[in-house]
Amino acid sequence: MLPRPLQNLITALERLPGIGPKTASRLAFYLLREENDLAEALAQALQELKAGIGFCSECFYLTEAGKRLCAICEDERREAGLICVVEEPLDVIAIERSGAYRGRYHVLHGALSPIEGIGPEDLKIAPLLERVRRGGVREVIIATNPNLEGDATALYLSQQLRPLGVHLTRLARGLPMGSDLEYADPNTLMRALAGRQEIESG
Amino acid sequence: MRLLHLSLTNFRNFTRLALELPPRGVLLIGANAQGKTNFLEAVYLLATFSSFQTHVERQLIHFLEARKSPAVGRLIGEYQRRDGTHRLELRLILEATAGDGMRLRKEALLDGVKRPLSQIVGHFNAVLFAPHMTQIIEGGPEERRRFLNLTLAQAIPGYATVLSEYVHILEQRNALLKQLAAQAGHVAQLDVWDQELTARGAQLMYWRIQALQEMERLAARVHLELTRGAEVLRLMYRPAYEPLPLPVAQISLPLSTPLDRSHLKVEEIREGFLERLRAMRREELTRGVTLIGPHRDEVRFLANGIDLGDYGSRGQVRTALLSLKLAEMEWMRLRNGEWPVLLLDEVLSELDSQRREDLLARVSTCEQVILTATDASAFPAPFLLQSTLWEVKMGQIYPKNHLAEEKEPG
Ligand SMILES: Nc1ncnc2c1ncn2[C@@H]1O[C@H](COP(=O)(O)OP(=O)(O)OP(=O)(O)O)[C@@H](O)[C@H]1O
Ligand SMILES: [Mg+2]
Ligand SMILES: [Zn+2]
Repeated sequence: MLPRPLQNLITALERLPGIGPKTASRLAFYLLREENDLAEALAQALQELKAGIGFCSECFYLTEAGKRLCAICEDERREAGLICVVEEPLDVIAIERSGAYRGRYHVLHGALSPIEGIGPEDLKIAPLLERVRRGGVREVIIATNPNLEGDATALYLSQQLRPLGVHLTRLARGLPMGSDLEYADPNTLMRALAGRQEIESG
Repeated sequence: MRLLHLSLTNFRNFTRLALELPPRGVLLIGANAQGKTNFLEAVYLLATFSSFQTHVERQLIHFLEARKSPAVGRLIGEYQRRDGTHRLELRLILEATAGDGMRLRKEALLDGVKRPLSQIVGHFNAVLFAPHMTQIIEGGPEERRRFLNLTLAQAIPGYATVLSEYVHILEQRNALLKQLAAQAGHVAQLDVWDQELTARGAQLMYWRIQALQEMERLAARVHLELTRGAEVLRLMYRPAYEPLPLPVAQISLPLSTPLDRSHLKVEEIREGFLERLRAMRREELTRGVTLIGPHRDEVRFLANGIDLGDYGSRGQVRTALLSLKLAEMEWMRLRNGEWPVLLLDEVLSELDSQRREDLLARVSTCEQVILTATDASAFPAPFLLQSTLWEVKMGQIYPKNHLAEEKEPG
């Protein structure tokens, strides 16, 4: 029988992706024994994370808490008629790093995956359709990950967006299949962006 | 193609083995339970990354090593192809999973570079023949799909990748069907998975149609010779989704009527497959599972129009398997431009002397063949003279000198 606080921590850690019961216990005991204030620092960082960060109400990228729009949506010099749709906030950072893109973003926060119980209503798809319906959007670039779930999500988006009459493109396959956008190097990403393709009507 | 060097670490009962392999015939002799079959399994694993002995893959690692966490087994093959010599390393890594279970992960390095398994499967080629493989003819349809997959993946670039994508999409689609069966939801999502599934499914069917037609031609010729003209062997592909126009396929023709699908293009198969899926949607939604597609394909073996899986005698089935395996070997040579390494496990003891000679005559044309037996007496002297004899004993391999003890009377 473990003391309650320790058990609580283990149970919480286990809910993190990629962490099983064994790893969770190891981490918990490590934190218990550790003497350089790591536990305190971690606790504070976690609290600030939730209190200090929110999501942009337009594109769902990260913002400082209390702000409605993110830095990219607020930047008047960025082209509002061009939206690049990505799975995760980290993908925005990857594309920004390439320096090749001057439009805006839309972060889905995941990809379709029935096995994990993720359907369209769990992603920020409805707000994207709403953004396009409001008008002023010339082109939507779909930049989901080049894997099966990313492809399925892209296909679903194209089916939903096509009736709205917007120009649709998909990142070119300069990206290695089965990889994650966030790990792609800037050069590869730049080439992929430059060579983006029309999506065939499905 | 020829295996030049093999080294095994903590694989089955081989804690440590490193050896050079000669060309032509290598005969592994040994009492029961010494490691003969395990040796062939190791070579076959380098070609297919799949075991023919077990579905419990953690058993591949030596059981003392397997107590460690993580435990590692290692296979390294050096082989000669027409484009030069290569080195393939396969690592079997047994590690704890999140759910406190154990999982065997495989890593492969080709010429020192780590690659996805599905991209390098079949860089090294082998054909395996073991007596239990009569299951291909007599067993359930999954045995035949497994045979097709392991063979085609070795000779058709892209087959393994498309197959693994198909299986993954199938899991996603089945999960979605189950959810939609339990509670109504976005049916529009299903369209997406239908597109993805049929794109890969049609490609797999196209490859299976071509390969089976080519293999049938080769197998029928061999079989006619082996049976001295008595039996015509046929390989009948029965896809779960029939891509031929319905009127042809629907009339219940006798099983033996050949249907020629070789003119069909991938795109035609795909369109038809997609249409059928849409027509079956209601039924699939109630059952919560994908009902048609390559994962349910079937192949039947017929001798003179009679289904060998249902009505074949033991001898008939064994001979048909022999024809199939010889055809598989020739088919790989046609496709890849060189012979696969041939692995024969205890095959000779199961055959009569006529078939033995037929088999040995044919296998001696390929570059390298590795055979196992409990003793050498079943092998004709000329064959033994051309071959290298090794003794397998408790996970070690020793040169065996030579025919004297085996062949001397008394
Ligand atoms: N993971 C493992 N670790 C250690 N030993 C193993 C492992 N898996 C199998 N073995 C041992 O390998 C031996 C069987 O080897 P194999 O099947 O190659 O025998 P064989 O020489 O082909 O015998 P037979 O003539 O009976 O077919 C058995 O003694 C078995 O206990
Ligand atoms: Mg054996
Ligand atoms: Zn924003």
